[in-house]
Amino acid sequence: MKYARYAVMALGVSLVPLALLTITATDRALAHKEKHTPEQLKAFEEVFMEQVRLGDLLFHGDGDTEKQLGVNLSKTGMACAMCHPFGSDNHPYEFPKFQEQINKFATLRDMINWCIEKPNEGVKIDSDSDAMKALEAYIYWSNKGSKLDAGRH
Amino acid sequence: MDEHDRLELARQRARVAWWRKTRSSGGLERERRAMHQELTAAGQRPDPSIGITRRMFVHRSLLAGAAAGAATYGWFPLINTLDVALAQQPAFKFAWISDNHLYPKTVNTRFVDKTVRAAKEVQAMSPPADFLIHGGDLAQLADPVELDLGNDILKEVKIRKVFIPGEHDWYLDMGAKWTNLFGPPNWTFDHKGVRFVGLDTISRGPDYWTAKKMTPKERMGHMATLDGSVAGAWAGVGRDQLEWLNRTLAPWAKDRPVVIFSHNPLYEYYPPWNFWVRDWREVHEVLKPYTNVTNIHGHTHQVLYNEIGKMRSIGMLATSWTWPYAPEGVPTLTRCKVRVDPGDHFDGVGWSRLTLAAAGKVENEYVMWRKDIFADAPWDSGCADNMNQVLQPRIADRAWPYYGAYK
Repeated sequence: MKYARYAVMALGVSLVPLALLTITATDRALAHKEKHTPEQLKAFEEVFMEQVRLGDLLFHGDGDTEKQLGVNLSKTGMACAMCHPFGSDNHPYEFPKFQEQINKFATLRDMINWCIEKPNEGVKIDSDSDAMKALEAYIYWSNKGSKLDAGRH
Repeated sequence: MDEHDRLELARQRARVAWWRKTRSSGGLERERRAMHQELTAAGQRPDPSIGITRRMFVHRSLLAGAAAGAATYGWFPLINTLDVALAQQPAFKFAWISDNHLYPKTVNTRFVDKTVRAAKEVQAMSPPADFLIHGGDLAQLADPVELDLGNDILKEVKIRKVFIPGEHDWYLDMGAKWTNLFGPPNWTFDHKGVRFVGLDTISRGPDYWTAKKMTPKERMGHMATLDGSVAGAWAGVGRDQLEWLNRTLAPWAKDRPVVIFSHNPLYEYYPPWNFWVRDWREVHEVLKPYTNVTNIHGHTHQVLYNEIGKMRSIGMLATSWTWPYAPEGVPTLTRCKVRVDPGDHFDGVGWSRLTLAAAGKVENEYVMWRKDIFADAPWDSGCADNMNQVLQPRIADRAWPYYGAYK
């Protein structure tokens, strides 16, 4: 029994480098071992900032962007930014937390949807939709540098 | 992000970084104190009768048993009651309504409902108010339909009414409809020993529309976006109006009470949202000889109190919705409003009832439609709640072509 356990361990140890070799040989990028060029960083930033820009437009009630993404965030003429200039008072750094209005443990996406449905009287959006990701990107970007304080009321 | 956006973002960041650097660590507070000293010459003191009382307006919620709520925190106890010398004049009241931001009824009726409520409550005041001052932003996008709607609702108020404009009333037709309904945007009158002045702080915005060939709606859309940057530092009194103010006050005894109504605050609170007038220093230069000046302003949709030199400022509530406190610049003398429930349209909003008593006191009573006005603990405070918040300026309204929400 004792010897059998050693045999299994030895087999395991010998398989690890083999597995690593297989991964790096088939797709080196998966291991993220390449050093990054400034062009790559710029490309990464552009992906993010494009979402920030879309989110900013949605947040400020831009009708064309809503149509483009197939959402209706408000039926009252009010836009998110009318209560949250510069994305203030969103407090994205406090989520997830117990959210009083929803009466449950909530994520930022839950709260975004609550604001769309209740104060704005718009149509709730899919929590993984492009519009939601864009809104989230804008809200996080606006609050960049804030102190993370998850759970705070 | 293209090069143009990158450059604009860098400029915006530099501007906000400069703002933070000069205003953080008490920089703004130091500047305000220096200004205060400059305006209050050696040996000269503000009229003792304008000292702030420590009395508080006892709200229904406190009478109902939440007396523990009377406890205070922060630098100063509750300051929403203040005294002004009025010699031996009889007592009188006046009311303030502003920032209704009416849309046409086809868009929404929630702001209509609240404006109707405020008008009814003003009309029901007993004893009646001597006059109603409307402090601007009756409309949302200066649409004639919105201004007519507001005018009709305010017909409920039968007492004398005076009006000053807000930027939301103006930039569609550059004030044509508003002045047609309500007359000139600045004025003065004397009432029972007080000189009242209405200032126009909104119509002198720099021309940001001609070169870009904006339509009137696009011009209005930019003006209506509080955190937009295209309209620039539009809030100002202007040299011509400063001279008018100087002439208007010149015959008035220096120690007699002056009440100035303005849409924007007459001090530097938070320029990125135009919570100021750009020539606020010049305003204080004009007011320097007068020892008893009260400024009552709208625009900021929040409880505010400040004193600079011999002038004190009181910020009024909106009837429409509440703005968050700005990330920097809230005056130390302000005791902040309670955090507002965004699900309740009547929370954090209302109007003001002001009493000028025979004993020489002015009391400002915020008529907020939900139970609490002030926070009793930091976690309920509209200011203290932002302790971890750091904000970025926007970029999208700089990206061309983009006209914001109101194409």
